[in-house]
Amino acid sequence: MDLSIRGRARAYATFLGASFSANLKSVLEYRANFLLQVFGMMLNNAAFALFWGILIDRTGGIGGYSFEDVMVVWALVSTAFGLAHVVAGNVRSLGDIAVRGELDVYLLQPKDAFVNVLCSRTVVSAWGDFLYGYLVLCLLPGLSAGRLLLFSLLAAEGALVFAAAFAAAECLAFFLGNSRSLSEALHEFLLSFSLYPEKVFDPGMRWAFYTILPSGFIAFVPLAAFKAMDWGLVPILFLVAAAYMAASYALFRAGLRRYESGNQMGTRL
Amino acid sequence: MGAISARGLSKTFSAKVKPEGLAASLRSLVKPERRLVEAVRGVSFEVERGEAVAFLGPNGAGKSTTIKMLTGILHPSGGRAEVLGLDPSRRRVELARSIGAVFGQKSQLWFHLPPSDSFRLLGAVYELDRRAFEARRDELAERFGIRDYLDVPVRKLSLGERIRCEIAASLLHSPAALFLDEPTIGLDVVAKREVRALLEELRADEGTTIFLTSHDIGDIEKVCKRAIVIHHGAVVVDESMKDLKHRSLAKKLVGVKYARPTAIELPGLEPVKRTADAARFEVDTRAHRIEELLRALVELGEVEDLTVEDESLESVIAAIYEDGAGRKE
Repeated sequence: MDLSIRGRARAYATFLGASFSANLKSVLEYRANFLLQVFGMMLNNAAFALFWGILIDRTGGIGGYSFEDVMVVWALVSTAFGLAHVVAGNVRSLGDIAVRGELDVYLLQPKDAFVNVLCSRTVVSAWGDFLYGYLVLCLLPGLSAGRLLLFSLLAAEGALVFAAAFAAAECLAFFLGNSRSLSEALHEFLLSFSLYPEKVFDPGMRWAFYTILPSGFIAFVPLAAFKAMDWGLVPILFLVAAAYMAASYALFRAGLRRYESGNQMGTRL
Repeated sequence: MGAISARGLSKTFSAKVKPEGLAASLRSLVKPERRLVEAVRGVSFEVERGEAVAFLGPNGAGKSTTIKMLTGILHPSGGRAEVLGLDPSRRRVELARSIGAVFGQKSQLWFHLPPSDSFRLLGAVYELDRRAFEARRDELAERFGIRDYLDVPVRKLSLGERIRCEIAASLLHSPAALFLDEPTIGLDVVAKREVRALLEELRADEGTTIFLTSHDIGDIEKVCKRAIVIHHGAVVVDESMKDLKHRSLAKKLVGVKYARPTAIELPGLEPVKRTADAARFEVDTRAHRIEELLRALVELGEVEDLTVEDESLESVIAAIYEDGAGRKE
């Protein structure tokens, strides 16, 4: 076994690849359901675009956002949200898994339990979210390889922040027991705040967007970077995402010490 | 060389307590009461490499909790565990490379995928190189007789087929120790026999240490050479299966049936069951000589049938459970 950093990175990449492939094969077992959910989600997102189009057409702009800005934010948030759930599908089930004592199977394997449990599932409808962002980007004027690459990087960074924030909210279950309603509320807040222009919110609450509900690093700053084609912000945003992920990981590790396992019958889907 | 060692291992859970009724519920909202539950209390034992040990106890005795501490799933509240020279709670990931686990009630196979896909994923989890993985997979497929359904989704397999695949999956990385928690639960007699034979073969061929919990006496008798019994979180018996079976020899079950109604009276021995023409005795062979008892029964009347049986291992174990700490050796 190669214990060098490169060796470990390669082993984890192979494992994540195999896990992703198993997840995908598992959901493709039911092709009709997969296609229905993917296209259904894209249609659902498109309905919101229509709503925003009508709204901005009547008001001329909201919170400093033009229709194109709204579409870019929707594309970024949708692809980031989708990517987080496509790759780390258990990101919003972690709390239930811990409360039901179903972490055992992951703890018995020689892989980091946080990465292992998060990446052992893909959410079918999230594929629709993921693809929808790219569809919107393709429909907006000025598509280029540079814009596509920058968009992908910003969406990947947003996915990391989404995953870190969702997972942290789920980790509350280790400490509070059944914290489903609280974590659901945090999920909804984060997603909703990310989809509206920052300026529509009271300045007194904007600090939250750069701390506990990091919409600033999922939507607001990435939008500014995308509009200005500012590549310099990308590494900074990834550093921020890494910090959120590290905090979420620390919370999981602390919670794991309180894990009580369970004896429910279980199977991996 | 030791494979598994537990020294004063204990685990305490904090459980919420709430008396019944709405008032109690409201009180508990403001001031929740909790009490400490000692699931495992200072369990100590050693298991040698290549040994097959049955870890027994009634429901709630602390078996699964002990196994979970030994495999690194749970952190002990006290004491020390060492498995293959590693502390499970500190070096879980490293230990996981060398142990396998089968929990009959929890599957590590993907329900919608064929076992071959789960095996491939596990190959990546255990970082097996492709050639080594394929060789091991084929060897296990042959040994476990699962080649024909490696490509069938797990949801379409029978329970027996699934359990065979589960055990094969847990052996892909050639673990030095295998923990099994109720591996034959729900299986029919034929499938149980097959699984037991496979485990015995595995221990003999690969020297795998087997640590098995099961409520099925057949599993214990066929697979294990030693039994550790825990009750109320503490070890009450730790002895070889031979000695455990010997306990059963100390008690004989003697049944007699006469051709016609007979007054069945023996000095110093009360039957556990009696009808007009038949009786059944539980005889402690340390207090009564079987030969004399049989002679006395024959002298009472015309015997139609006479049976002498050893007490079953199941009864011996049940008696240990019932006696609990009273029979601690």
